[in-house]
Amino acid sequence: MTSELSRNLYAILGVPAEATQDDIREAYRIAARRFHPDANPNEGADIQFRDIAAAYEVLGNPQQRRSYDEERRARGEEPNYFSLRVTPSKRVLNALEEPQVLYLLLEITPVREVAKQLQKREVPLNLTLVLDRSKSMKGLRLDKLKIAAHQIIESLSDADRLAMVSFSDRAEVMIPAGPVTDKTALRAQVNLMRADGGTEIFHGLQAGVDECRKNLSDHFVNHVILLTDGRTFGEEERALELAEKMAVEGIGISAMGIGEEWNDEFLDALASRTGGTSTYINSPNAVVRFLNDRVRSLGDTLVERLQLCVAPDADIEIESLFKLQPNPQPLDVAPQPVPLGSLEFNRTLSVLVQLQMPPSKRSGFRTVARIDVTGRVLIAEHRSYKVLSDISVEIAENPPPEDPPLPILDALGKLTLYRIQEKAQQSLQQGNVVEATRRLENLATRLLASGQDELAQMAIIEARRVASTNLLSEEGRKTLKFGTRKLLSQPDPKENGQ
Amino acid sequence: MRTCPYCAFVNREGILFCEECGQPFVGSQALLATSQLANEERSTMRGRVTWGTARFDRRASVVVHVRGAEEPLTLIPKDEIVLGRSDAHSRIVPDVDMAPFGAAEQGVSRRHAVIRRGEDTLTLVDLGSTNGTHLNGQRLIPHQPRVLRDGDEIRMGKLVFHIFFKE
Repeated sequence: MTSELSRNLYAILGVPAEATQDDIREAYRIAARRFHPDANPNEGADIQFRDIAAAYEVLGNPQQRRSYDEERRARGEEPNYFSLRVTPSKRVLNALEEPQVLYLLLEITPVREVAKQLQKREVPLNLTLVLDRSKSMKGLRLDKLKIAAHQIIESLSDADRLAMVSFSDRAEVMIPAGPVTDKTALRAQVNLMRADGGTEIFHGLQAGVDECRKNLSDHFVNHVILLTDGRTFGEEERALELAEKMAVEGIGISAMGIGEEWNDEFLDALASRTGGTSTYINSPNAVVRFLNDRVRSLGDTLVERLQLCVAPDADIEIESLFKLQPNPQPLDVAPQPVPLGSLEFNRTLSVLVQLQMPPSKRSGFRTVARIDVTGRVLIAEHRSYKVLSDISVEIAENPPPEDPPLPILDALGKLTLYRIQEKAQQSLQQGNVVEATRRLENLATRLLASGQDELAQMAIIEARRVASTNLLSEEGRKTLKFGTRKLLSQPDPKENGQ
Repeated sequence: MRTCPYCAFVNREGILFCEECGQPFVGSQALLATSQLANEERSTMRGRVTWGTARFDRRASVVVHVRGAEEPLTLIPKDEIVLGRSDAHSRIVPDVDMAPFGAAEQGVSRRHAVIRRGEDTLTLVDLGSTNGTHLNGQRLIPHQPRVLRDGDEIRMGKLVFHIFFKE
């Protein structure tokens, strides 16, 4: 499991390879002033500082530096596997005596040559399905689930590993972890699933993870797909702890909720612990498509265990992180590094960072944040690969107006809708019905303006419902939450000439 | 800081869409241009489009001209000006009393709406009146502030009047 960490120590210190010892000492001093834990309380800064200190330990010592240089020469040019591009919402900020907001769009893109290489070589899956078979799944839901499981079995090959666990009050291993050889027998196992009993997610997840661990290896994409239609009671904390362990071991989770009953906050938390995704499936018919899409995109994995570390300067605050593409998902700002899941060979993964800049009247350039992304590259013996970017902006008195970059504007326009929906729910939780209604009305207005008529109708209905009953319907709440979130992965309907 | 022209929420500098109502602050881009056009279309459909300034100087005064009345009323704005009608039974006396203009017959509530003074704008808020408040033909959602512009038409119940800013 251990793999050599690929990193360029010169890049970490921000000096060229021909830098003098004095240059290196100076670069270390500057970096330490920015990121030393005594100077910068951010968790990300602590991580960056450890890297910087480790790099300085080698490069700051002429003898160690010589042997590092030799080793570097011997290893030859390190290929690039993926790149990180950071675009700020503004390049020149106005010098103001009040705090201001700055957005950073992070785009992590596989390098094209590498992507081509992968197309020829499939990365095998170690997949475990954890499926809810509680009483409420009876009928169409369970039938569709079986169809989806059949199709997944069909799409897998000898190289892949599959396990299947079904759960209600207790967990049952339907298909023990193993290669996908006798597909007929596996399908027959799926058909044995009967709906009965309650929903105990933790037991199902635990059994699923145990199965997945049997084949846990860097040669696979290790993943658990959890599908449920219910709420679990009492065991949520234990499930989240398990998810944290899974993240360390390198097992991802995709959590899918079907119907209205399930606890979306819990599934969100579960998925974000491992950089996975959570999805709302509103009709049984969609189950087949969602599951198949998920399995297919797992097969496209180029980089596993992608992690993001954002270290803002000490006077700058990270307000939020949101994964925009693929599979939009809110991310926790802490703990860092933040798991991002996997990078597919043919898709860019993007994250929007919202920062609050301090008041500043001083003109000139200033550093904003240091951002790095680390991941294990599947085609390079799972070696850890890191890309790094240090962001600066200019501050000036009354700079000329500047149009924000279109991708930021587009993403933010949609993300704002998701946030309004979130705020409406917050007001409701605080018992402020007037505010909740107003926010839902605002949401409806904005949704109409961006051509999302169906969601807008839902927002209007829910606004009325809130005004008269002080409650949102579960269906409406989930549709608005996941509907506005999903907008981020869709092109604007107007751009398609609708 | 930036006051939202739609809902008067004060956003921090650098925010690109109002954090309260989602109103875009930058207009020239494709996505936003379309959404703004939709807004304009709606206001033309439902009422008169006004192009007056929303900026209200703190030293300015407000002129209220009730339709059909001979003399406009000039008000020195306080932080809140309550619009409504006085009546003989309750002791409520609003800051602007519409009773002389036949307010009761026209469906004006005793405490109907309020004009609030912000940093450099005025907002109009319906106080949950029985017959509602319309701004340029659009009905206000109760308790949701809307920014007033010079020349706006306000309708409370059936009573119509115009608001002008006087420097």
